Amino acid sequence: MGNTVKLTIDGKTVEVSEGLNIIDASELAGVHVPNLCYIKGMKGIGACRLCLVEIEGLKAPVVACNTKVKDGMIIRTQTDKILEVRKFVIDLLLSMHPLDCMTCTKAGVCNLQKYAYDFGLKESSFRRKNFGYPTDEANPFIKRDPDYCILCGRCVRVCKEQGTNVLEFMGRGIESKVITAGDRPLQESACTFCGSCVDACPVNALLESDRSRKGREWEYEKTHSVCLLCGNSCSILLSTKDGRIQKINAGAKAGSAERYICAYGRFGFDSVGAHTRLASPMKRINGELKETTWEDALNSVADKLRQAGRETGFISVAGITNEDALALKKLAKNVVRTKNFDTTLSLYGDSDFFIQSQKADIDLSDVIVMVDLSPSQWQRILPALDASVRRRVERGARLIVVNSSDSKIGEVAAVNLKGNIVSILRGIAKSLIAKDVKADKRLRASVENAEVTEEIEKAATLIYEAHEPLIFSSPALFEASANIALLKGKIVAVPLESNAKGVSLMGLVSEGKSYQDMTEGMTKVLYVVGEVPISHRPNTDFLIVQTSHMTALAEQSDVILPSAASFEAYGTMIDYMGRMKHLYKAIETYGKSLNHRDICVSLAKVMGAEIRRPTEDEVRKTAKVKLKITFRPWAEKEEFDISPEEFTESINTSVINGSRLLWLKETEKTVR
Amino acid sequence: MSNQKERTTGDLIKEAEQKQCPVRKAGEYIDAFLKELMCGKCFPCALGTFESASILRDIIVGRGTQADLHALTEIAEILTVASRCKKGKDTGQFILDLLRTGAFSEHIGGRCSEHECSLLSEYRIVPERCVMCGECQVVCKVHAVVGEKKIPYLGGHVPFEIVSKRCIRCGECVRVCPNDAIIVVDKKDIIEVGVS
Repeated sequence: MGNTVKLTIDGKTVEVSEGLNIIDASELAGVHVPNLCYIKGMKGIGACRLCLVEIEGLKAPVVACNTKVKDGMIIRTQTDKILEVRKFVIDLLLSMHPLDCMTCTKAGVCNLQKYAYDFGLKESSFRRKNFGYPTDEANPFIKRDPDYCILCGRCVRVCKEQGTNVLEFMGRGIESKVITAGDRPLQESACTFCGSCVDACPVNALLESDRSRKGREWEYEKTHSVCLLCGNSCSILLSTKDGRIQKINAGAKAGSAERYICAYGRFGFDSVGAHTRLASPMKRINGELKETTWEDALNSVADKLRQAGRETGFISVAGITNEDALALKKLAKNVVRTKNFDTTLSLYGDSDFFIQSQKADIDLSDVIVMVDLSPSQWQRILPALDASVRRRVERGARLIVVNSSDSKIGEVAAVNLKGNIVSILRGIAKSLIAKDVKADKRLRASVENAEVTEEIEKAATLIYEAHEPLIFSSPALFEASANIALLKGKIVAVPLESNAKGVSLMGLVSEGKSYQDMTEGMTKVLYVVGEVPISHRPNTDFLIVQTSHMTALAEQSDVILPSAASFEAYGTMIDYMGRMKHLYKAIETYGKSLNHRDICVSLAKVMGAEIRRPTEDEVRKTAKVKLKITFRPWAEKEEFDISPEEFTESINTSVINGSRLLWLKETEKTVR
Repeated sequence: MSNQKERTTGDLIKEAEQKQCPVRKAGEYIDAFLKELMCGKCFPCALGTFESASILRDIIVGRGTQADLHALTEIAEILTVASRCKKGKDTGQFILDLLRTGAFSEHIGGRCSEHECSLLSEYRIVPERCVMCGECQVVCKVHAVVGEKKIPYLGGHVPFEIVSKRCIRCGECVRVCPNDAIIVVDKKDIIEVGVS
């Protein structure tokens, strides 16, 4: 980073950072170099030969995907010889590809189609080849159609880089086929159905199972948004048509290690229209929940809130937008005037930790440290973090894992430190201080008697020599890990829910009773927002549940207020690495449901008060809380011990049960 | 993995050179290349050589067309320019060299001047040199030789002839004929001479 080179591409002079390959550099110059086997972010393999370019001074053409730019290069991407080669390769590919543009789902976004159009190739001048491979569509997520495969290898490489390693080539040359181990259907392999292969495939060989006949790509409206199902908060791209979501793709920019979305995020959108979805407010009359109007429901709620006042409790999930969190806080603190408002965040972390987490970019870090974290794509615990870290390691970063037991991510670690985490961290700190890193007096004194083993020394050396070390820590070990960040590197606390950082910055943190207190029934009236991991009604006089689906808890409540799903509302959130991300409204709200913030505003009005609907400006101003990390005693916070897998499942039960993900649960149960 | 040293394109070329007909040379080389040396990674070579194998097979049996020749030339030229490794370039160069001999156009015209491409030639008995010993009939496994052995002092025998449809061009009869009465001729010539 920092150094730039100047070069000429097709007559255009451009200055780019050194280390880029010619395809990426040409993109910056506005020139598209055709390619089929190149994946941005990964090293080029030069298989398709479409990206050949001529460099002045070199006799033979070179592949642009694997050649780095050099100062003073003069590149031509469209000479006669090169165009002949490109036309030839596309011609050959067409000879083994079903000429199916009429009904193909990839029409309009197919690279093969685009290049054939550019060369005016109607059909192939070579013999037609058809291998008659059977399709694999036995699972409700991904359909594999090998007849369309052009053997570019993108799917194989993407699956390998992120560690799942499910796809491989069988055979050589034109007769090769992309298969799973033993050529079994996908569900009989280790596939997690994340769909990274679907995003990578340039043709119709890998696609969503239900994609056929559901409209053409150009009929889809694309909306950027964020998945709020777990702590990773992956950027997503929604495709909608006729007011319904048709498919979801990964939304992070091409080339980023974070370009990923797991099966839950990609395929859980069916739940938006599930039969458990709440369309209207409900009130318990004579022991039974009956549908009612908003006016009636809000009036009943307002009455109870007015009566209970300070003895009301508000609990929420942390997977709501900043605007919703801010509106809820205003309702609780300013209108109902209670100090009891908290989120599920308290189950696994302290809001201060998320506020203290520093802004980071995993694509720039060369050394990554993971403390007390066991992300896993297979168990769906922070799968995107697992995939991103594995990709970064493949792309040259070094990983240090500090854990008390074996973790699967440790298999790609340069240094694997297993044992008492606090002792190990103290050792690393001592070793760093010994390398003359500036340290606070108290910090220095606190690690005097720490033990430094050979492995710890190795880890400390890696961190010391790194340019941009990044430390990911579980909330329980955040304070201890932050002590290392005081010496070198940036620290990020990894939450289990998407907007933990945003919710903490908005101040939806208890000034009275905690989440645990309120779930044990210490309030007269309990107002629950979102799908909290509680299935038994807490001991309270009046229970209000404001959520999108009929959950077990909602069935035991006194009033149900239907809320909008994340795709049905505009909002902002702040992910665990400190970036503000936007959710844009993709579809209309279901039935009579309303956004969380709209419900809060309406409720306040009924209670005779007024709260302003939070705007993005207000959110940004409120989020300007700065809390620096300071030296803290070396200890593990024991109270944050919950199972990440169970927790993530329980806050997403409605999504899983209301979509095709239920098939996944059932299948995985039988296989495990 | 075998302990043998991996064969190079040079080895394959040497083996292919054992044939006389350039088209056969190309065919042998490409088949061996597809089986052994081709890594199959780059598209021009992997797809191109597979296509060349089909084209050459057709040319050898006499079904080749001018378009096939054009395609083969294009494949060979692009291989020399665009393939990922030297093996592909060598393959392209070898095919181009063979194409320059003109034998390919000949084959499309229906002739194999080396008489190696069996379906393009015919085995014929020259009546003037035949002594009617019957040896060719004895060795012919497919009973393609019709005729009667000459019995001394008796006349009215059926002359020896080779039924072209049955003949498999194995060459055994040529080997045993004591008077070199069996010749290999181009099918095309016969068609030109005979009644259409």
